[in-house]
Amino acid sequence: MIKKIIFFMGVFLFLMPGLSAAEVWKAPDQEKAKERAREVVPFVKEYKDDCLINRRTCLVDAGISIKDVTTVYFVLGSPVIKKREDHYEPVRFAHKRHAALTNDCSVCHHFRPKDENALETTRCSACHQDSFNPDYPERIGLKAAYHQQCMQCHQNQGKGPVDCKGCHLQNVPDHKELVKLPDGADPFQVTAECLRCHDTQADDMLTTAHWLWKGPSPYTTGHRKDIMHGKGTTALNNF
Amino acid sequence: MDCLVCHDTTGTYKKAPPGAGMPDEKVDLKHVAQNVGHSSRASCGSCHFNGGGGDAIKHADMSRQLIEPGRNCDIHMGGYDFSCAECHKTRNHEISGRSSSVPVAEGEVSCVQCHSESPHYSGGFLDHHLNTHSKTLDCNVCHSPVYAKCQPTKTWWDWSKAGDKNRKPVNDKYGQPDYNWMKGEFKWEESAVPDYAWSSGYMNRVLIGDKVDSDADVINLTEPVGSIKDPGSKITPFKIMKAIQPIDAEHDYFLIPHLFPRDKNDTTAYWKVLDWEKAFQDGMAATGLEYSGTYKWVETWMYWRLEHEVMPADMALSCVQCHDSLKGEKTCNRCHQDNRDIDFKKIAGKGTDFSLMKSEGRDVGHLINKTDYINFKALGYKGDPIIHGGRFKKLPMGYKEKK
Repeated sequence: MIKKIIFFMGVFLFLMPGLSAAEVWKAPDQEKAKERAREVVPFVKEYKDDCLINRRTCLVDAGISIKDVTTVYFVLGSPVIKKREDHYEPVRFAHKRHAALTNDCSVCHHFRPKDENALETTRCSACHQDSFNPDYPERIGLKAAYHQQCMQCHQNQGKGPVDCKGCHLQNVPDHKELVKLPDGADPFQVTAECLRCHDTQADDMLTTAHWLWKGPSPYTTGHRKDIMHGKGTTALNNF
Repeated sequence: MDCLVCHDTTGTYKKAPPGAGMPDEKVDLKHVAQNVGHSSRASCGSCHFNGGGGDAIKHADMSRQLIEPGRNCDIHMGGYDFSCAECHKTRNHEISGRSSSVPVAEGEVSCVQCHSESPHYSGGFLDHHLNTHSKTLDCNVCHSPVYAKCQPTKTWWDWSKAGDKNRKPVNDKYGQPDYNWMKGEFKWEESAVPDYAWSSGYMNRVLIGDKVDSDADVINLTEPVGSIKDPGSKITPFKIMKAIQPIDAEHDYFLIPHLFPRDKNDTTAYWKVLDWEKAFQDGMAATGLEYSGTYKWVETWMYWRLEHEVMPADMALSCVQCHDSLKGEKTCNRCHQDNRDIDFKKIAGKGTDFSLMKSEGRDVGHLINKTDYINFKALGYKGDPIIHGGRFKKLPMGYKEKK
């Protein structure tokens, strides 16, 4: 998680010449996706849907298929969304995976820019940007577009998450002000302070394998209905 | 309850080894508590990378390298910065994932959950065949063809040799010691070829107190359950952790020694008095099982399934790395006649680049040009399935082996 914090700090570092983040480890594919998610592209003011049959056929007729997917992986997030509210981390999106599953680019690429020189498929954030733009009342914002597109399809298909945490990691609030501890606090004071707010989570914890070091063993032959095996009880190893 | 061990983001939290789980006194707990966050590879790894008492010892596919891994070491963590809990989804602090080494499981994690049962969708010619392979092969057979890629792991541990304080440890080619007077004799492997076995996901296990055949050459403490005849079983890669360890010669159950001294007055801990008898008496008393007073050393194997360290797709095994029948002039054109604009040999041959891995310092020189990688005969096939047929159907194209 410290990497994620460093990443979000990196946005600021980027704006501060003289500070180099060169020594910070980075995951190259994720970094590239995050860079892309930080981009705000020019707004497509006019779109068209002049396909005589339907959009899918148009795309097929234009010869566009999964082989044209240039960006396999995205992070769905944008400064456009973040400036309004920031409760969740951006979502990982396997673009090509979804293209293969639907086998229909038009599911998401439902209209095209009116500009004839534009690509047949354009990114979501070109047409969907800030929400409630009075100049484009029919156009939903990027955040709504993502949620409507993902959740409706997941519901219709009967697969894929439709709950917040199914896609997002929730931001952890800054605990600097929340945690009230004396300097040199001992472990018991720390636990009591955590439980002041997180008593439910503590109750949950007490029934888990990470607390009990034992639990259900559904994949162990002869013990599939047992609930007491684990390193705290019967598990054996060669040390 | 220690919330910080999992939710630390500062990297400064640590436990004191003799403290029975209490944090090191030097840790600024207030600072750690004020910076809590999601669990991470570093916080999960502070326990799980150290299985067996140190980094990379037991787990073949997990080590401290995964905190900041290279892309070729692990594409999920090194390429895409996945944290553990992004796959090991957690609900009410129950963390999903089955383990081959311990019985307890709170939900499962599999590649299929994200990648589906037809995970090959490049749009290329091989997609169909690769997706058929997914019904018979665990993903990591092709996508993680060697284990302990980036950090050597212990593969042999002979406890019977422990106790010689005069024996000087010799470092192997990986710089790992072959001996420790507290623990015995070791062997280490890096970038090792897995052992392949049919696995249905279920495991047989020997638990504490279980009677075993103590005269067997090898006793499997854990082993996968599976069969070539079971459609639900897949060929699955494992690291086999091999060891010599003590068993009660009369009761035929395994012995648990008391190793780490409780305090200054401890008179039975092996690491203090180097007396196995006392260590067994004390250790077994803690389990509630009797120690007969006689013990012997037996060889044990544990199958550790390889789940992590998945390599980038272009580093997966190629067709010819398993199918030696495709190594010669005839490749896809054994069955497919239409070869317009298709270089069959290239399609069948492009795979794990062991030369590249060798050039990056990995110990894989012997794997360059290897074929029959997973050893078809050992898995119950008559030979290369392209020649001899698969487990449920013969080749539909009527190919006849040349005499």
